[in-house]
Parts: sequence; structure tokens; C-alpha cells
Amino acid sequence: MITSLTSIRARLLISGVLFTILAVVLAALTIQPTLDQFVRRSVDASLESQISVLARAVKPDGTLDQDRIQSVGPFVRRGAGWAWVVKGPAGTLRSQTVAMMDPRQSGGPSPWPKAEGPRPDRDRDRPQGGPGPQGERPQGERPQGERSARDAHLEKPPTGPLKESRRWRSRSGWNESFYFRTLTVNSSRGPVVITAGAPRYIRDRMRDEGLRPLLLSLSVLGVGLLAAMIGQLELGLRPLRKLGASLAAVRAGEQRRIEDRQPKELEPVVAELNALLDHNEAALAKARSHVSNLAHGLKTPLATLAVRLAEPGRDPDGSLASLIAQIDGAIGHHLGRARAASPGAPGRPALHVRPRLEDLVAALSRIHAAAGVRAELDIPDDLFVACDPQDFDEMTGNLLDNAWKFAERTVRVSASRDGGRAVLVIDDDGPGLTDEAAAAALVPGSRLDERGAGHGFGLPIALELAELHDGALTLGRAPIGGLRATLALPARAGETAES
Amino acid sequence: MRILLVEDDAPLAESIAQALREEQFAVDIAADGETGAHLGSTETYAAAVLDLGLPKQDGLSVLRSWREQNRPLPVLILTARYGWTEKVEGFKAGADDYLTKPFRVEELVMRLRALVRRAAGHHGPKIACGRLTYDAQLGGFEFDGMPLKLTSFEWRVLSCLILRKEVVVERMDILEQAYEGDAGGDSNSLEVIVGRLRRKIGHEMIETVRGRGYRLTAGGEPS
Repeated sequence: MITSLTSIRARLLISGVLFTILAVVLAALTIQPTLDQFVRRSVDASLESQISVLARAVKPDGTLDQDRIQSVGPFVRRGAGWAWVVKGPAGTLRSQTVAMMDPRQSGGPSPWPKAEGPRPDRDRDRPQGGPGPQGERPQGERPQGERSARDAHLEKPPTGPLKESRRWRSRSGWNESFYFRTLTVNSSRGPVVITAGAPRYIRDRMRDEGLRPLLLSLSVLGVGLLAAMIGQLELGLRPLRKLGASLAAVRAGEQRRIEDRQPKELEPVVAELNALLDHNEAALAKARSHVSNLAHGLKTPLATLAVRLAEPGRDPDGSLASLIAQIDGAIGHHLGRARAASPGAPGRPALHVRPRLEDLVAALSRIHAAAGVRAELDIPDDLFVACDPQDFDEMTGNLLDNAWKFAERTVRVSASRDGGRAVLVIDDDGPGLTDEAAAAALVPGSRLDERGAGHGFGLPIALELAELHDGALTLGRAPIGGLRATLALPARAGETAES
Repeated sequence: MRILLVEDDAPLAESIAQALREEQFAVDIAADGETGAHLGSTETYAAAVLDLGLPKQDGLSVLRSWREQNRPLPVLILTARYGWTEKVEGFKAGADDYLTKPFRVEELVMRLRALVRRAAGHHGPKIACGRLTYDAQLGGFEFDGMPLKLTSFEWRVLSCLILRKEVVVERMDILEQAYEGDAGGDSNSLEVIVGRLRRKIGHEMIETVRGRGYRLTAGGEPS
């Protein structure tokens, strides 16, 4: 967890998932009571409309107008569990669905709270049995109640002004398995209690019916949000990944700086990084130039010294001249090492191999003009390497110079591409080196005076530079007789070529 | 053989000049790039030794200016700059040879002689004209296989003639190759030197071409 949290992506993802789940759960929790209320209102509305229908049937004297008694809304459906009861001075009248609510059938407690007492005691003793299909009115089952209501209606016509004789009292309530509403209407002969009720499962079913699509859409919303978040992360973190790739490219030397065009939030970071790169580059250039200035500052007086020592009698046994050669060797060695030890400036351009080598060969042909060595070049024109140009010159220059020094007649330079590498082969037809001597010639840091005469420090420097550029240098035997130096460097596509 | 030495470090310039004079060369020194560029453009030299890090005008641009003016003089770059990139740049700018400091004087002298020889169109290190042979590598003359003892002036005149053997060499050219800077000799002094040379290698080898100059010949018709 700790390691995964070091990733911005994981942080955002985990917090996003947590917040989404929290939000969805909260929404579900808020929706439930709202829905409950909504369901209850709807049940209330149904109950009240039934009650008001029944209330209108109550005559002022407490009897019921049979013609006006009817079931409305859900009360029409038999078996749905909705039921009503009217209890008045003239007797008790109930919907034929009441039997269904009988606790002895539904297995639950009585839907009619005893305290309310809308049902006369004798109702509890009514015979068992469902609301049979025998007729609209369960006369067979409860003839007494029905009749009494009807009788009341028939026998006692309403007297007195209706409004004054009726007083409404409404209440609602629950018992364990039933929800009901009661309206008490006062009549001249006493209160008429109208009760309508719905079983609890009705409410639960309605709520569930409402809740199910809501929860479904909430889950879809949650999943959608998560997907959107993942997409957003991909999109949002892409610049970071690009920045990483850009930095890697700088390190690999494919580009010198990080691209300036970045999202606003990354701009300061990139500006700082580029400033750092520039600073490093400047510091490196400065350090190199200091070393090089020191070296060149030493070389001119050293040259004067060498010329003076050459005057007759100054250095009869040549020991002083050899000291100068030693100093010069040390300067050259450390100058080369200073170059090799510090990675070149970032952003190595793709270096066009052929013109570079042709220039070097032309230069060497002049330097060694007296030797009369012939150079044969076989270099494809489309070969590019990822290498600092000066470092490339130092490596190949040293190798070519070496070849020229030892060649009898021919120096052969060939190059080819081998997968991701450019392989440069420099052969000479000189005496070559034994395997041991070749290994020793490449050992960096060994003492100058231990190295074989003539090979100088050019080869170890070339090796160090090659390794600095993720390349390799090996020495072997050339088919034309002498030394073969094989220099492998990372190849580069030539599109961005500059020679 | 007169050499132009463009080097801003006075002790080094003096030392080189002295060493070259020991080897019979005439040497003009320019201490900065501008002077060097001017001398190289206006005077005739057998070769130039050019430092790269120069005040006023850097060595490479001096070299380029000469090449732009089609000055053919061979140029040897003498520099403390060590890298191959600098060497390649030097050669691309038109240099003929390159030496890094410090160097051995013999090497410089040998390279200068070779440059002058190649610039005159001679491929081998030995140039022969009748009984006279010039070793362009060692700078010595042999007459009938025996070393020829010459003064500096005699050597300069004779080397100038043998590099262009069988060809008439203008008086002015010979004088320019024999005398340093403003020391400038005249026709009379040249005649004296030629007279001394004729006594050493035989009268018939150096022909006087009236109104023009001299020709070193093994005995054929002037070309």
C-alpha cells in the first residue's frame, strides 16, 4: 500500500474509488428515506381517497348510503391486500378484501389495532376463509355486518345539517405488518370510524420497485465515474509520462533539452529542468575549457623549452627532451581523460559517419604524407551514430593515426550497421599486436612509460570514449596483416542528420 | 627558402626562428594574426608556420584569407590544440600539415622541407640535377656524391633553384627566398652568391637569363 501510494496514479485512483463509493453509498442512503416518504405519501393518497369516498357515503345519522359505497384505486383489486372497514352506530361494513388481511391467513398480527377499535368484537370471531370468488360482497361470510350497515342506511335517513353533525378526525399508524389510516366522522347517532389500510409488504414492494432502478442507475453511475476517472488519469498523467520519456531522451543524448511546450502545470518544472541542463552543460563546458586552457597554457612554454633544448650542446644525451616528452604525454593523457571522464554535452546529434571519416582520412593523409600510405574507405552513406562529434573525432582519429603509423602501404576503413550498432573497422597492414600487447594497449590508467612505444595513450582514450558513448572497442588481427581495431557505437536513424 | 612564422609567444617564436636559421632557412616573424595575414598575402614565402591561437585574428581565419586570395604557400599549423576535430578543421581551412606543441625541432624542419618540396611538385625526397643532388628530407646537397658545404645564403639560393630546376627563376623570387624581411639584398649581392655557387658546382650548371633571372640545368634547353 505504501509503495503503491508512491505512485500518483495509485493515489488518485484509490482516493477516487473511495470517494466514488462513498458518494454512491451516501446517495443510496439519502434516496431510501426520500423514497420511503414518497411511497408513504402515495399509500396515504390511496387510503385517503378511499376513506373520503366512504366518508361521503356516511349520512348525517351515521348510516351509510349503500349506493355511494365503492372501492377505488388499489382497493378494487382483490388479493392486493388493501382493505377498509366502516364502523358506525348502525353497524360495521367492510370491504370484501378484509378477510385477506386476517392474521390467521396472512400469518401476521391483526392489522387493526385494538385500541382503535374499528371492528366490533364479533368480527374477530368471523369464520375463516379467503375472500372467495363468491361475490362482490361477502354476505355469506359476514351477513350481519353488511346487513346492519345497509339497514342503517335504509332505516335511518340523515337528519340535520350535515356539516354540523360531522366532525372529522384523521389519524394514521402502523402495527407490525399493516399500515392504516382512520377517519372518524361524527354523526347524530355517534361516531363513524372509517379505516383503510394496506399491508406492509405493499409499501416494501413499492419502495423496492422504486429503489431497484435507482440503485441500478447509481451503480451504473458509479462504474461510469470510475471509468471516467481512469480515463482522466490516463489523460492527465500522459504529460508526466511524456516528460519522463523526454528526460530519458535527454539522458540518452537524443535531445539536448526538454521540449518547452508543456501543460501549464509542468512548465515551471520543465523550465527548472532545462535550466539545470543548461547549467550542467555550461559547467561542463567551463570545466573542460579550464582543463584545456591549462593544457594549452603549458604547451607553448613547453614547446619553447623543447626548441631551446634542441640547440647544440644543451641536451647532449636527450634526457631533458625525454622529460619534455613525458610532460607532454601526461598533459595529453589527462586532457583526453578529462574529456572521457565527463559525459559529453547532452543531446548528441546524429552524426553522419562518412563525411566525418573522410575528413579525418584526408587530414591523416596529409599529416602522414611522407609515409605514402594509401587509404581505402568503404563506408555506407546512410550510416549515422549517436556520438558527440569531437569525441567521435578523438576515437576514430586516434585509431586511424595509430593505423597510419604502423601501416606499410594500406589503411582500410570500413563500416556497417549491425542492428542498433554502427561498426567501424580500421585495418592496417603493419606488424599488428600480439593478443597480450593488444590487451595491454587498451588498459586505461596504466603508466604511460609501461605502454608499448608508439601506441601512446590514444587507444585507452578511444576505449574510454567508446564506453562513455555506450560503445565498445576491440583489437584483433586484420586480414591484411596488421592490427584491426573494431569500434562499435550506437547507430542512429539519419533523419535528424547533421554532418 | 624563406619561412613565415606566425606565433604570438615571443620566446617560442624567437626559439623557432633561431632553430630554423640554423637549418639555413630565412625566417620572418609575425606576432599577431593581422600582421601574419598581411605578410602572407603580400610577400613570397616558401612556407608558413601558423599558430592557431593568435591575437587580432585567429589562425584559421588567417589561413582562410590566404586561400581565398589563392595564395599557394604551404602552411604548417603549429598549435597547442590537441584534438582531432581541430586538426580536421585546420586541414579543411587549407592547411598542408599540422604539428602540436611541444614538438621536436627536427620534425618541424623535416616537415617544412617536405612541404616546400611537395609544393614545388617533387614527389621523392631526393631531387637530382646533373651531378648535383638535393636531399629534401635532410636539407643537404651532394655534388658527385660528396656533401657540398654551403653558406646559408648559398643554400637558400641553390635550394630555390634546384626546386625549380631547368626553369628560369626570377631574380626577385630568389631574393625574396634568400633575405629575411626588410634586409632585402640586391641584384649585385645575388650575383656574388651565384658566382660563389658556380665555383663550387661548375659554371655551366647555373645559366644567367638576361633581364630575368637564373636557371639551374643539367645541360638542356631552357623551358
